[in-house]
Amino acid sequence: MNVLTSRWLPHAIFAFAAFAMPLVFSGNRYFAFIVGITLLSVLWATGMNLLYGYTGLMPLMFAGIAGISAYVTIGLSAAGWSFWLAMLVGSIAASLVGIVLGLPSLRLRGFYFTLCSLVIQSVITLAFVYFVNLTNGDVGISHIPLPELPGGGQLTGTSYELVLAALTVIGVVVLTLLVESGFGHRLIAIREDDGLAETLGINVTRQRLAAFFIASLFASIGGALYAPYVGFVSPRSFDVLVSLNIWLMVAFGGRGTIWGPVVGAVILAPLPFLLQDYYMIKDVVYGLLIIGVIVLLPAGIVGGWKRKAAAGEPAPDVAQKTAPAR
Amino acid sequence: MTLLDAKLVSMRFGGVVALSDVNVHQEAGETLGVIGPNGSGKTTLVNVITGHLTPQNGAVLFDGAPLLGRKPFQIAAAGLSRTYQSVRVFSELTTRENIATALLDAPRPLPSEGVAETAEWLGLTPRFDARAGSLTLYEQRRLEILMRLVQQPKLLMLDEPVGGLSSAEVRATINLLSELKARCTIFVIEHTMKVIRELADRVIVLVAGEKIADGPPAEILSDQRVIEKYLGSVDA
Repeated sequence: MNVLTSRWLPHAIFAFAAFAMPLVFSGNRYFAFIVGITLLSVLWATGMNLLYGYTGLMPLMFAGIAGISAYVTIGLSAAGWSFWLAMLVGSIAASLVGIVLGLPSLRLRGFYFTLCSLVIQSVITLAFVYFVNLTNGDVGISHIPLPELPGGGQLTGTSYELVLAALTVIGVVVLTLLVESGFGHRLIAIREDDGLAETLGINVTRQRLAAFFIASLFASIGGALYAPYVGFVSPRSFDVLVSLNIWLMVAFGGRGTIWGPVVGAVILAPLPFLLQDYYMIKDVVYGLLIIGVIVLLPAGIVGGWKRKAAAGEPAPDVAQKTAPAR
Repeated sequence: MTLLDAKLVSMRFGGVVALSDVNVHQEAGETLGVIGPNGSGKTTLVNVITGHLTPQNGAVLFDGAPLLGRKPFQIAAAGLSRTYQSVRVFSELTTRENIATALLDAPRPLPSEGVAETAEWLGLTPRFDARAGSLTLYEQRRLEILMRLVQQPKLLMLDEPVGGLSSAEVRATINLLSELKARCTIFVIEHTMKVIRELADRVIVLVAGEKIADGPPAEILSDQRVIEKYLGSVDA
């Protein structure tokens, strides 16, 4: 029990903070909104971390998949569906579309996958602009209402933020469980050396496909939740810059760690809002932060901290470095 | 019992013929050595058999089942394992994690006592918690073998297992491999003749993608054609 509590202690602290922040800021809608967007960003960064951090793929079509889910959910809700059912259908549909679009790219690795995902993202953005009758094109869809609870009762700002908090906490817990499972270990093996993984009997394509589907579900659920929260979506809400922004949170915080992307999102998501009065220097601060992390902490904040902690301990292999055993 | 039977395998890369009508036959329990100059198609042969390359012609039977068209992970699951010419381990993971990864999708994983015993035999037990990238080359070579053995392969294909090792380490590896012969069938590519002479029951010689000789090591290593085309006067 003790081990269990200590293992899940960071999750408990995070859950407490995630639920407390919307309540703390319930009196100030502006700050509460920043909290809500930050929670969504944590959910997205956590999903992208499964691909970028654990599988070694940089999915630049991430925002596009979130967008497909958002538009499907909006459309189905407008047609009279319950938002939650629409979100479920929209998320699964978007993830499946993502897999179909991503199928050719899943055999690629590294830079080539990234390039292919960039093309896919561009195609999705163009589709959002082109299919005006579904997406209202560049004008976008506004006045998207907040959903009702399944039992009835309208969600307000603060209660919707608590829903965001719940799903974000679930997302982080799910990623932790996945990463610690055999599935997660297969993904890490693929990230480290996919050829060797294949030689050891791991079905690399299938595992990548599964990782891609699960990460797409994170993107999609985030996209479906985003639309009614902000109340407005357009193709710009889900363009490649959004993908890059989420990627930055993962890289900045520390890819391949559970808490790195969480930290990255918590630092970077509120920044544009907090620097709004200093819009002249906003981009400069953003850029300096990125350069600083790349130069000082190439493994990200949490990754760099972990490496420093490991370097502080005496290297375990120095003392044992004797003649070969045989 | 025939374990591996490759017939008339031909592999071309564009206009370059890497393998031309090569026949390889290996009995279970028989250690087969493959020698040949650089670029003679030795590694290509392993890549074809283990599903990394698809040949233009030929058929490969392993344990009675055809291999061509099957993917590397399926061939690994069928009990045919290979190592790489340049050592390949998950260097960011610990020795223990490397072994655990090898066990993930093994159809017949070695039980944990067996894993511990094999690791002890290979002298890797004290290095379990070290990052694989921090191991010496010799340790990494042994880890590679351990990662294959925990899968209990029927055939283990070793691509230059003593490449880059010191002469003392080569000696120790030969001893290890001769003990290994009791555990699984070995197919070994080597440039170091000492390894072939001491381990192989039979040797095939590849030159420019063609098999020019096939027989017991003593006979092959004194064969005039082999000496002319490959060995020359130098005997490593």
